[in-house]
Amino acid sequence: MIRDDDDQPLEAELRDAARAYHEPPPVPREALWAGIRARRALDRPSRRSRHVWTWAAGIAAVLVLGMGIGRLSVRASRPGPGASPVATAPTPAAAPAPTPGVNPKDDAAAYRLVAAEHLGQAEVFLTLFRASVREGHQERLASATARQLLATNRLLIDSPAGRDPRLRLLLQDLELVLAQIAQLAPGRQSEDLKLITDGLERDGMLVRLRAAVPAGTGVHFRQGAL
Amino acid sequence: MDDRLLIARVQAGDASAERELYDAHVERVYRLVYRIAGDPDQAQDYTQETFIRTFDRLGDFRGDAALGTWICSIAVSVALNGLRRGKRLRTREVALDEAATAAVTERRAEPDLRDRLARAIDELPEGYRVVFLMHDVEGYTHEEIGRTLGVQTGTSKAQLSRARAKLRRSLADFARG
Repeated sequence: MIRDDDDQPLEAELRDAARAYHEPPPVPREALWAGIRARRALDRPSRRSRHVWTWAAGIAAVLVLGMGIGRLSVRASRPGPGASPVATAPTPAAAPAPTPGVNPKDDAAAYRLVAAEHLGQAEVFLTLFRASVREGHQERLASATARQLLATNRLLIDSPAGRDPRLRLLLQDLELVLAQIAQLAPGRQSEDLKLITDGLERDGMLVRLRAAVPAGTGVHFRQGAL
Repeated sequence: MDDRLLIARVQAGDASAERELYDAHVERVYRLVYRIAGDPDQAQDYTQETFIRTFDRLGDFRGDAALGTWICSIAVSVALNGLRRGKRLRTREVALDEAATAAVTERRAEPDLRDRLARAIDELPEGYRVVFLMHDVEGYTHEEIGRTLGVQTGTSKAQLSRARAKLRRSLADFARG
């Protein structure tokens, strides 16, 4: 509850003490400026190669993600002790049966982790993609990266561990965008690119991705000034 | 100088305009991020990052607020994100340190007002702390804070009141003693 005196300035003694909190020293203007110039100078020539490395890092990260999901799937479908090694006809099941030794909570946590990582990658990818389009770059690797993300996206949509309907909807919308980028044909891109970026803006895809990615999710792209 | 003219010169590649823009705003940015971070290295890093982003994003500045306010909003964002990243790494170390020294430091000597207040400020929720530092320590108006943090002026006022209330409560026994 706010009392009237909380609208009053702090008492003089407290106010003076507060001014000593993290009291800044004189501004090291020249050192700061030298650092800014150095960092910008370093950044400029590498900006072009950074794009290439970014796409490459994206592909590598998606491959790792794919492997991770693959391992999860293998673990989830591993037969229990005493099961016959020969193939059997699949049994219809409304819901996936719990696998002995696998805690469903662990599966859900692993799924959330992988999904957060994937959404973070997708957010960085789409942000860079949009920036590239605005700068008039033709990113040859964009379609390839989109295809990689698309594969992971599909695995996440199909995963039995994915039970959050909002996340599912986001993944389905993301799938549409990634599919459009994946299908971009070289040569006739400008119109298609504009349609995609307009769609991104209209659907608020980047905002939704940012909202869905928990703070602190490690996305190992270099984001520059993003 | 008119912000728009300065921005136009920076965007045209005028290096002296970049320096002018930096000189005009660095004092405020550095003081603000220093108050938030409390560490010279972090303050330096956040200030540099703020201006690098400022120069890179100058084309996005729409002039809805003063240029200085816009730059400060970048600074606050950079500083808070940086602190959040660092906090996760430090949490475990601090917990271990505190456990090890708790027995030694227990109220043997009453810390002075500055220490008590500093700890109380550190313990404020992030939003309260930033508003308190900006208003009561650095002298920003609620309008400036609202525009910088992207909140209503009333929100800034409410957060300041709550911050003061928490600080007064934290220091109540000190005031009585």
